[in-house]
Amino acid sequence: MAERWDRERVLALAPDAPSQRAAQSLASGRGAWAADGAAAGAAGPGVLWGECRGGAATPYRTVIDLSGPAYRCSCPSRKFPCKHVLALLLRWADGAVQHDDAAGAPGWAATWLAARATRAGRPPPGQAGKPKDPEAAARRAAVREARVASGLAELDRWLGDQARQGLAASQQAGYGHWDDIAARMIDAQAPGLAERLRALAAVPHSGAGWGGRLLEEYALLHLLAVACQRQAGLPPPLRETVRSRVGFALRQADVLAAGPPVRDQWRVLARRDLEQDRIRVRRTWLRGGQTGRDALVLSFAPAGQGLDDSLAVGAEADADLVFYPGAVPLRAVVLARYGPADGGADGGADGGPPAGGTIAGLLACYAAALAADPWLDSWPAVLDVTPARAPVPAVRDPDGDAAPLHPAAGDCWPLFALSGGRPVTVAGEWTPRGLWPLTAWDEGGRAVRL
Amino acid sequence: MSTWQDLVTAALIGTERSTVPAVAVPGSPIQAGPDDPAVLLLDRAALLTVARRGGRPADHAQPPPAAEPDSAPVVSAAAAGRLARMLGGQHPELLTEWLAAAVARGRRVPAQLLPALLDRARRMVPADTELRRLAAEAGGSRARWLAGLNPDWKFVLADTLGDDAWRRGTAVQRRGYLTALRGRDPGAARELIADGWAAAGPQERVMFVSAMARGLSLADEPLLEAALDDGNTSVRTMAADVLAALPESALARRMTVRAAGCLSLQQGHRGARLVACPPIQCDAGLRRDGITPGPGAAGGRPAGQANLLFEVLARTPLSTWTAQFGRPAEQILALPSGHWAAALFTGWARAAIAQRDQAWMAALINWALAGGLPGTPAGEQALRDLVRRADPAVLAAPGITVGTVPAERPAARDALTVLRFRCHMLKELTDDDSAR
Repeated sequence: MAERWDRERVLALAPDAPSQRAAQSLASGRGAWAADGAAAGAAGPGVLWGECRGGAATPYRTVIDLSGPAYRCSCPSRKFPCKHVLALLLRWADGAVQHDDAAGAPGWAATWLAARATRAGRPPPGQAGKPKDPEAAARRAAVREARVASGLAELDRWLGDQARQGLAASQQAGYGHWDDIAARMIDAQAPGLAERLRALAAVPHSGAGWGGRLLEEYALLHLLAVACQRQAGLPPPLRETVRSRVGFALRQADVLAAGPPVRDQWRVLARRDLEQDRIRVRRTWLRGGQTGRDALVLSFAPAGQGLDDSLAVGAEADADLVFYPGAVPLRAVVLARYGPADGGADGGADGGPPAGGTIAGLLACYAAALAADPWLDSWPAVLDVTPARAPVPAVRDPDGDAAPLHPAAGDCWPLFALSGGRPVTVAGEWTPRGLWPLTAWDEGGRAVRL
Repeated sequence: MSTWQDLVTAALIGTERSTVPAVAVPGSPIQAGPDDPAVLLLDRAALLTVARRGGRPADHAQPPPAAEPDSAPVVSAAAAGRLARMLGGQHPELLTEWLAAAVARGRRVPAQLLPALLDRARRMVPADTELRRLAAEAGGSRARWLAGLNPDWKFVLADTLGDDAWRRGTAVQRRGYLTALRGRDPGAARELIADGWAAAGPQERVMFVSAMARGLSLADEPLLEAALDDGNTSVRTMAADVLAALPESALARRMTVRAAGCLSLQQGHRGARLVACPPIQCDAGLRRDGITPGPGAAGGRPAGQANLLFEVLARTPLSTWTAQFGRPAEQILALPSGHWAAALFTGWARAAIAQRDQAWMAALINWALAGGLPGTPAGEQALRDLVRRADPAVLAAPGITVGTVPAERPAARDALTVLRFRCHMLKELTDDDSAR
C-alpha cells in the first residue's frame, strides 16, 4: 500500500473550491459511507473503494486506483474527480478507511480495476493498425495542406496591412480585430496561429512598450508564415518546428517513431497551470539526472476538471520520455514509468535543490536555442540567485549579472521571503519579458512552489 | 544605423506614411529586401526581434541586505502544510492559536508563507493586534526583514516602536504599543494605563481595560474595581468581564454569594436534581458588576430570569459549584435541571472559557457531544466557543469520535471537526521533522 497522502495532496486534485468543501463535509460524515476499504493494488501503490449514500436510491460506488491516480464513480456529477472520489481519498488520508489486503476489493470495484489493467496493457490508440484507406487519408492531408497554405498567405497579407496602416490604431481596436483573423486561421485549419493571434488582443493594453511587443509578435508571425510557405527547403527538424507552431498535430505514432525513448531519473523542476479557451494546460518542466536534458510535458483538461497530478514538483521520476521532433526538442510525453515517484513538494524526502546555473549561462543557452527555433519564447531556467527589488524586481547571480522577473508574475513576495536576501536555487520559465519564477528550494532542500 | 525603437516608431505610424529604417545585425548577410515596404518592415523586425532576444545582455540589480539569521527551527512540514491551508481559508479563526502554539514551542513560520500571513494579519478589520503580534513573533527575523521591504507590513516592527507610538501614534498604534508592553511588563503597562486614565475618552478606556486581560493578576484589581464605577456602560461591562476571569477578585466573591443562592441541589424521590432560583430583578449591585438586564427582564419574566441566571453563572468561579455540590463537573452536568439546562450550559461555558478551566471545558464538551447540548442558537454558539478554547489534550474523551455523533446533529459534528483539526494542528506543531 502506498504511503498515505496528506489532505493537502488530496484537495489539490479538486477541480474547484466548492468541490473541496463538499468533499470535506462528505468525508467527515461517517454515516454517508459504507463498505469502504483499501487494499494493495495488483501492480500499483494501492486501491480504495467505497459506497456513498447520496440523493439516489442506490449508493454511489467509488473506486480509486492510486497508481494513476485514476478514479471512477457511479454518480452523475460532471466534475472530475467528483466529491465522492475526493471524500474517499480524504477519509483514507485521515486513516478512516480500513485496510483489507486479504479480502481485496469487492466485485464491482475489481471489475473496473481489471478493465483498467487490460486497457493499460493494450497499445495506445493510433499506434495500432494502419489507416483504413491510405488513399483517402492522403487526399485529406493534401486538402489540409492546401487550406493551410492559403490561410498563411491570407495571414501574411493581413500582417502587411497592419504594417502599412500602422499599429497605433490597434489600441482603439476591440478584441474583434484579432478574433476575426484568428477565426479565419481556424477555418484554414491552422489552430496554432489562431491561438497566437487571439493572445495578441491583450498586448495594446499591457503598458508602456506595447507597440514594440506587438511588432515583435507580428514579425514572428510573418516569419512563421514565410517559413511555412518555404517548408520544403527547410531542414527536417526545423520543418517539424514550423509545422507544429502552425498547428499541425502529430499523431502519437509519429511521435514515437521520431526517436528512441530517453530513460533517465527525471527531476520535476517546476509546473505552471494556464487556462486558455476553457482548456486547462499544465506545463511541467523536467530535467534528466544523467542526460541533463530538459523536457516539457503538457497535460490538458477541460475547465473545471482536475489536471494530471502524477509529476509532483521536487520529485524524481524514473521514466522513459519520448521527445517530439523539432529543431529544439523540448516537448515530450511520458512513455513509461518505473517505480513510484520519490518525494516532492507534497511531502516526503527530497533530493535537495538541483544544480543552479548563472544568468550568463541561461542567456547563452537561450540564445543558442533561439538560433535553432526563433519562435521559442519559454525556456527552462534553474539559477542560483538572490532576488532584488531595485531598480525593478529581478534576480542577481554571484557574478553580479541580473535578469528581470516577468512583470506579470506579480510581486513574488514568497520568493523574496524564502531568500531573505541570500542566494536561493530558483526554477522557472525564462521568457523575453523576464523570468517567471515557479519553484524555489528552502534551506532544508525542500522544493517550494511559488 | 537605426535602432529597434526607430523600427517600432515606423510600425506605429505605418509604412504608408513613413519610410522603413535600415537595420543590420552584426554577422548576418545583407540581402536585398522585398519591394513592398510593409513586408520589408516585418522582415527587418523579425530579424531584430530574434537578435535582440538572443543577444540580450544581463541587467544590473541591487539585492537588499540579507536578513539576520534565525536560530529558531522551522515548524514541521505537516504544520506548514496546515498553515498554508488555513491561510487559504480553512478555519482561519484558529490562526491565532496556531501561531501562539508555534511561539510557545520556539518554532517559526516557514519563510514562504510569511507574505500571506502578514497580509492576512494586516487586512483584519478591526485590527487584530494579537494576530499581528503573534505573526510578527512567529515570523522571527525574516518577518522583520520583509517589513523593511514592504511598508504594508510595518506593524511587524511595532514591538520595537518607541514611546513615540504611544505619545503621538494613532489609536491602533497606541493599542499595539500597550499590548506589546503588557506582554513584556504587565506592571509597566498598568502604570501607563493609570497615568492616562483621567485624560482618556470612553473608547480608549475600553481599550485600556481589554489590554489588561492579558497578563492579568490581583495587582490589577484596584484599577479594574474602580472601573466598575465608570460613567460609561461599555467600560463597566468590559471591567466586569476581565475581573470575572480572576477567581480571587472581590467581584468573583460577590458573584459567589449571589450564585450560591441561585442554584441548589435538592434530593427528591427520583434522586438529586438542580433547582434554579435566579434573581428576580437586576439591581444596582448586579448592574455595577457588569450585568445588564436582557430583553424581557422587566417584571421577572422567565426569559429575563434565564438571562440573569446566565449572566451570574458566567462570572462565578466554577470552584463554587464543585465545592457546594461536592461532586466533579461531569456529575454536576448530569443532574437534571429542567428548563434551566440551556442557561446553565451557556453560563458555565462562558465561565469555563473566561477562567480557562480545562476540567469544566472538557466536561461541558463531552456532555454536549453525548447528547446534552441544548438545541438553542446560544447553546450551539457556546459549544463552538468551547471547542475553540479547550485544550484538546484534556479531552481524553474515550469513545468520542466522529462516528458516535448522529448525522442529524450538525452542530455537534462541526464541533468535533474543529476539535480534531486542533488536535492534529497542535500535534504537528510538536512534531519534529529532523527526526525523520
